[in-house]
Amino acid sequence: MEADPKIICFACNWAFPEWEIETPPDVGVIQVKCIGRLDPIIVLESFAQGMDGAIIVGCKSPDCHFIEGNLYGERTIRLLKKIMALAGLEPKRLHLELVSPIENKSLPSIVEKFIDEVKNLGSLFKGEEIDEEILFNIQAAKQAVVWSRLRMLSGRERKLTEKINVYGEKIRQEEFDRLVEEVIEEEYLRSKIYLLTKSKPASVEEISERIGVDSFLVLQHVVALRRKGLLGMDRIEGYTPLYRALEVG
Amino acid sequence: MGKFKEAVEVIRGDLPFPAICGRVCFSPCEDACSRINIDQSVAIRSLKRLVADIEREQGKVTAKPIPKKYDEKIAIIGAGPAGLAAAYELAKLGYPVTVFERMPEPGGMMRYCIPDYRLEKFVVKNEIDYIQDLGVEIKTGVEFGKDITIDGLKKDGYKAIFIAIGAQLSAKLNIPGEDLEGVIHAVDFLRALALGKQPNIGERVAVIGGGNTAIDAARTAKRLGAKEVMILYRRSREEMPAHPWEIEMAEKDGVKFYFLVAPKRIIGKDGRVKAIECLRMRLSEPDETGRRRPIPIPFTEHQYEVDAVVPAIGQVIEASVLPPEIIGKNGLIEVNPITLETSIPGVFAGGDAVTGPASIIEAVGAGKRVALSIHRYLRGKSLEEEKIEETTWVKDWRSLEKKKRRYESPVEKPHLSFEEVRAYLERVQRAARFEALRCLGCGPCAECLMGIDLCVKDKAVVDEGKCVGCGLCTEICPFGAISKNENGVAQVNEELCKGCGTCAARCPKEAITMENISNDRILSAISNVLAGVV
Repeated sequence: MEADPKIICFACNWAFPEWEIETPPDVGVIQVKCIGRLDPIIVLESFAQGMDGAIIVGCKSPDCHFIEGNLYGERTIRLLKKIMALAGLEPKRLHLELVSPIENKSLPSIVEKFIDEVKNLGSLFKGEEIDEEILFNIQAAKQAVVWSRLRMLSGRERKLTEKINVYGEKIRQEEFDRLVEEVIEEEYLRSKIYLLTKSKPASVEEISERIGVDSFLVLQHVVALRRKGLLGMDRIEGYTPLYRALEVG
Repeated sequence: MGKFKEAVEVIRGDLPFPAICGRVCFSPCEDACSRINIDQSVAIRSLKRLVADIEREQGKVTAKPIPKKYDEKIAIIGAGPAGLAAAYELAKLGYPVTVFERMPEPGGMMRYCIPDYRLEKFVVKNEIDYIQDLGVEIKTGVEFGKDITIDGLKKDGYKAIFIAIGAQLSAKLNIPGEDLEGVIHAVDFLRALALGKQPNIGERVAVIGGGNTAIDAARTAKRLGAKEVMILYRRSREEMPAHPWEIEMAEKDGVKFYFLVAPKRIIGKDGRVKAIECLRMRLSEPDETGRRRPIPIPFTEHQYEVDAVVPAIGQVIEASVLPPEIIGKNGLIEVNPITLETSIPGVFAGGDAVTGPASIIEAVGAGKRVALSIHRYLRGKSLEEEKIEETTWVKDWRSLEKKKRRYESPVEKPHLSFEEVRAYLERVQRAARFEALRCLGCGPCAECLMGIDLCVKDKAVVDEGKCVGCGLCTEICPFGAISKNENGVAQVNEELCKGCGTCAARCPKEAITMENISNDRILSAISNVLAGVV
């Protein structure tokens, strides 16, 4: 029989004042001040530590205790789902539930349903150890959300799509989503390259083989990473340059 | 969370009078509430009252005596808010404390000068009983200056003395006719009622003065059956020291207000008040203190026919019972501002006797500071070493008045009875929970630390070395708490920051961290949870 999935509920402190009493006991609870506080790193790191699924409970607008922290939180979750899909983690493992204090929604039933869903997906752990490939992917996803490009873009999403950018233009949501999609893919790939070369210097060919991406594309990202000062040439073996990740700061 | 009982305990950690202050405090805490910058303050006072009342409804609140840790006996003169608060703090520290009170019941102005419809006597009694339960001895009917003296107390072995006699005497009008029958000073009037007497005030009453005591006296007179009650005040409405909501309530009760009039003489017939003659006033331009002085307009004498005159123009301390060397120039007790000690070593003073007439909560604050100072004095620590921290008060509370939440229900039927005004919150506990949820948890007023560790104050901290000045946080912050300084580096306005962490979760350079609940702290909580989850 399959073991129960490990599920964490990230709950906004204000969304469910009495919710502790109502949650099924086998779900771990982490209370946060606002779902806007939820750093994507935290969620991804939880997956790396063996969490199988996360349910995030926040407040519906306009009930956010911090006025619009929930709106930022919502966008972070959207970003996370996209990057999880790339990393081979089913986005369904992340569930956002926005509640309003006046609704009296039954949280246990939502959680039960979510547990069942995660059960169907199966555990990320094979025995005691997490699948190495998945772990590497999660680490890469983590690296991608640490770097400033995605954070900057996602943090500005509301301003760009709801207000105007510095050129006085308003960007349509679909357009923005497409842009984010592109950037996520790029950043995720770059993170993988970065992490790979961190442990051991590697050539473009080797990297391409290891992550299963066309070597021309890898070269492009290697160039981009070098420009950012994140990657450096370690040495040349024969005619092949080997690259190594550089410590930042 | 519905932890009403725990909530009272949290309040009691700092304040021995949750039910009293929940009713009659002018709630400076709400002026300082951060929520006031967003919409309205959290109704802290109403919530205090609610939790205290719920506790009381569940049965009499009792406390266990606190074991005595020290031998030094302490005498406190006056069982008002200052004296009792000091007794409470000193008892908690483990000192044997005796409070001496002249009146038959302890409580001071809370017991004798706040009318029943604002504060019922049993509420005061309950909270004082609690202090007595802790082991504080209260001796009533003991008059300072007659039954006990400072030297006598020292001979009896009291190592420290706290003079908290308040300001009990009503200030005189100093106009002709003040000794006529029917002139009864507001505090004497209220005190007589509290002692169960029925002062004869007749049908028409003129109350003189614009403070809260004047309002109390006027509303009480109305409740005693006076047909016409007027308040005569020499300045205009804006200058009235009484709290605006008190003035409104008095108007609802049918009290009439006459502004810019000052009494000139009281006219009597057969030894009893018949009328009061007044002069009209005009206001000067604001003087250097910013206050507008009233100036009499000549030849504007006019009379009001009244049966009683109730002066309420302030209280002064009974200096005659005190050793003259501790009285300052202004007629109040003079103390060292840091140690709160008088010129006699080991004798401290605080409350109205030092500040002049003020509020309950200010007296409690004074009592607490004196308690701490006495503790240091008895433990041989330097009193001047560090100043006892004093809460800063919001000065311009009048401008904030509209932004405070008041839950008093409109008084329906028992308009003019002594029946206490029932607070709306008492009936609606659910509303109270939502009211409490409005708290931003920003921290200055309370850090209860109950249950969850999220009640601690948190704030964003910028690592200036990491910040690249992208400005994302300044756009994100829902409270506008982050701005860029002259170096282009983000800086957090601590007063505006509510610690939600929305900026920290998005800073592209990880330059913003939360002081208290950092990412690492959340992550370690997660690994604990994951290790525990089966």
